[in-house]
Amino acid sequence: MVQAIERPSSAKLPPLDHPLADIIYRLEAGGALIPDTPVNLMKIIGMYKAYSIPMDFYWRDLLYLGERVFINPFPFFKYFPTKEYFDLPNHYAGDTADLRIWRGPAHAHPELMAFIEKGETGKMPRLLHHLWHDRINMEFSEDLARAMMWHRMGGELDIYLDSEEYKAAADKAIRAYFKRNPLMLGLYKLFPDLFLEQARQATYMNVLGLFWEVMAPVFFEISDRYDEGSITSVKDAMNFLVNGIFAVAGRPIYHHVYIDDEVHVLVPKEKGFMWLYEAAFPYVEAVFYRTAPFRGTKSYNAQANQVPTDQVDFHYGILFADKFPVGTAGIPPTLLHQDMYHFLPQYLKDYFHQHCRGEDDILVQLGIAFQHSMYTVTSAVLQATRAAFYYPLDDPNPEHLMANRRFFVAQMNRFIRPQYGIAEACKIRNVQDPNYL
Amino acid sequence: MLTLLIVLPVIGALLMPLLAERLLRSVALVSAGVTFALSLAMLMQFDTQQTALQFTEFVPWLSPLGLNYSLGVDGLSLPLIVLGTFLTLVVVFTGEKSAHRLFYALVLLANAGVTGALAAQNLLLFVLFYELELVPFYLLILIWGGERREQAAIKFLIYTAVSGILVLAAFLAMGWLIHAPSFDYADIQMAGLAPTTQGILLLLLILGFGIKMPLVPLHSWLPDAYVEASTPTAILLGGVLAKLGTYGLVRFALGYFPEAWGQFSSLLAIVAAVGITYGALAAIAQKDIKRMVAYSSIGHMSYVLLAAAAHTHLSMVGAIAQMISHGLILALLFYLVGVIETKVGTRELNVLNGLLNPLRGLPTTSALLILGGMASAGIPGLVGFVAEFLIFQGSYGTFPIPTLIAVIGTGLTAVYFVILINRTCFGRLDNATAYYPRVVWSEKMPAIVLTLLILFLGVQPTWLVRWSETTSAQIVAAVPSATEIVASLPQ
Repeated sequence: MVQAIERPSSAKLPPLDHPLADIIYRLEAGGALIPDTPVNLMKIIGMYKAYSIPMDFYWRDLLYLGERVFINPFPFFKYFPTKEYFDLPNHYAGDTADLRIWRGPAHAHPELMAFIEKGETGKMPRLLHHLWHDRINMEFSEDLARAMMWHRMGGELDIYLDSEEYKAAADKAIRAYFKRNPLMLGLYKLFPDLFLEQARQATYMNVLGLFWEVMAPVFFEISDRYDEGSITSVKDAMNFLVNGIFAVAGRPIYHHVYIDDEVHVLVPKEKGFMWLYEAAFPYVEAVFYRTAPFRGTKSYNAQANQVPTDQVDFHYGILFADKFPVGTAGIPPTLLHQDMYHFLPQYLKDYFHQHCRGEDDILVQLGIAFQHSMYTVTSAVLQATRAAFYYPLDDPNPEHLMANRRFFVAQMNRFIRPQYGIAEACKIRNVQDPNYL
Repeated sequence: MLTLLIVLPVIGALLMPLLAERLLRSVALVSAGVTFALSLAMLMQFDTQQTALQFTEFVPWLSPLGLNYSLGVDGLSLPLIVLGTFLTLVVVFTGEKSAHRLFYALVLLANAGVTGALAAQNLLLFVLFYELELVPFYLLILIWGGERREQAAIKFLIYTAVSGILVLAAFLAMGWLIHAPSFDYADIQMAGLAPTTQGILLLLLILGFGIKMPLVPLHSWLPDAYVEASTPTAILLGGVLAKLGTYGLVRFALGYFPEAWGQFSSLLAIVAAVGITYGALAAIAQKDIKRMVAYSSIGHMSYVLLAAAAHTHLSMVGAIAQMISHGLILALLFYLVGVIETKVGTRELNVLNGLLNPLRGLPTTSALLILGGMASAGIPGLVGFVAEFLIFQGSYGTFPIPTLIAVIGTGLTAVYFVILINRTCFGRLDNATAYYPRVVWSEKMPAIVLTLLILFLGVQPTWLVRWSETTSAQIVAAVPSATEIVASLPQ
């Protein structure tokens, strides 16, 4: 059942003839893409908590990949960041923070460290945990970084990655990386673009790491505040995210590579690439709207010409994720779901156990709750974009309100594109329904 | 001992009105369980080398009418009795949701009726039991059936009543025409009758038992009855009741009119081939999975007719094996279809999808359905293969073309089961509807037990055929071979 939406009292606009009109009214009233209910709030906050702890590992290891592993052709131990990276102080947590978002410590989250030590199976060498898949699955986050790279949103950073300046810096770094490896240097000579592309990929790993370095403490803090009772609605949660996004919007995006004792600067901070434009927006666009890093997404059949020829039309992201694995024709829940499963807060675990098949299909329920939480993140991005580029929601000028509306409508239109079956696949109608579990 | 097999379920049924609600299922289970255990004990004690009847009982009853309480079993009837008691136990176990005292009483009475008919050694006693089971089945369909249950129940009643009348008429004529001292099987010898009379009597029996099997074109009661019946009733109908038809054909039609049977055998083989093909093609055309399974039953029962028409030793062993195999496989398929209908709320092929989904589908049920479909299609290693292979092997020499058509029919069985499985189990589970209740262990158990039996008898076929080899040889020895009969016909 779709929750009835009251149009904002300040609305000075005519009624809207749009399949997602109710959701647009809610956005115009400052709300989110999902209904503001206590259960939805519990789900999204619980999922933020479950997501944030793996994310604390993701960003640390992504920086490790970008800075240390770099273009290693055989990176067998790329998921084993050194202790230095676990101790790496988060810039938005702890006493040393540039801007303290989370009140907890700056080093890796204690629950993460406990999990890395023991996993679900018990204490044993990390390699055994890794081989047993009793670990945080970094494959997921690497896929996201590759998705961002593949879609290359056309921001300033994207242009810079094709610049001579970047190529020169990357060339220097590649030569330094393989200076004791004539075979690889020979291959580099033969296939320079291949290695350059690997360097760009390392840059995107780094960019995603920097993005999540911010998001992890945001999610830690939002969860703590929910536990304390200071976040009581979906709107509160969304606004917390919006404020967080604005607070760190100007954070510089950079890429430093550490080879031996030298620092190679591939993307200097001085270039002025900003977190909001070069990391947050591309991430939301690539991951939420377009890409396929999530196993379990809508299946395209290339032979039936279902794969769009235009890259921009390749809509395939988490919002479009089908959470139901199906025998041979389907795909099991994502590795991310398994990662989050380890850190579900008790209240959410209890909730899942009371619904559908309890523990048996908990990964499906978790995935659907994750859709809810990601729709809230998308809501925050939409409201932040509207605030940055358009007008306040209570603007007295109807023209301004109409401009806001056009923006929201344009965004909603992305969810109803009939040519790719997005309208049903994106589940935006499903997440309005409290019985969608 | 045979009397106990009949009396125990009757006692169970009679206790039902007197018991508290909470005891109904337990008492029904005990009654069905003990009966099954007893039948199993008999099977273990059964001397497979002996040609004579075993576990015989004789009590004079209405001697002036020729009716005696005469019971006994051989390798044809005993395996079917065990199948019947086993499936009754399965049905009582699965009947939890229909926990009505009348339901259990009727199921137990139906079992008693079928066991009595299979064990009877007197024609009138057979008819008595044959008719007795009609009432419970009629009520089971009428009370616990689907939306069109009244129509299906009436149709079932009319058809099977006509079947009973035809059989009774044939039996009375058999007794009266030869002035037999009684209607005991041993007293009925038809050899002296004129061939035309034998032919007419045989025709009556073929029609009577053909309705029960059912044979094409006497089958039109079956799809409605099977589909409208609840799952437990459908299991009993297909797994137990239909076997009375094939049993009657072999025991009476073939047993008492060997020469006439031989003359009819070519025609019967053609009817069997038509039935196999029709059953398979009709199943392919269905959109309701229960109806699909129901039509598959028509085809599979026709294999028995083909084997009986050929009446070689091997084909007769195959015929009896097919009766058991079909009973187990059909029970499994009906049971699984019932589970799917209960959990998903539909049997529509065009609606069902993705049930193999490990998290929110019915994975075990779907896996077993695939196995059931494979068994029905005669995949090696499963019981269906053993029975069908014996039939084909035994019938080919006599009726090569109908046998080849039957082999093609097996291929068509694979076609409709692939359709069923592909649409039902594979594909994407629908997000909007995928909130099916979990299939709990107690619901899985009957299907698992049936599957294990299907697997076990598939890899150990000796346990399927050893009981009936001597009896089959005995039946065949009494009948001139179809080849001989065909050769003796005037050119």
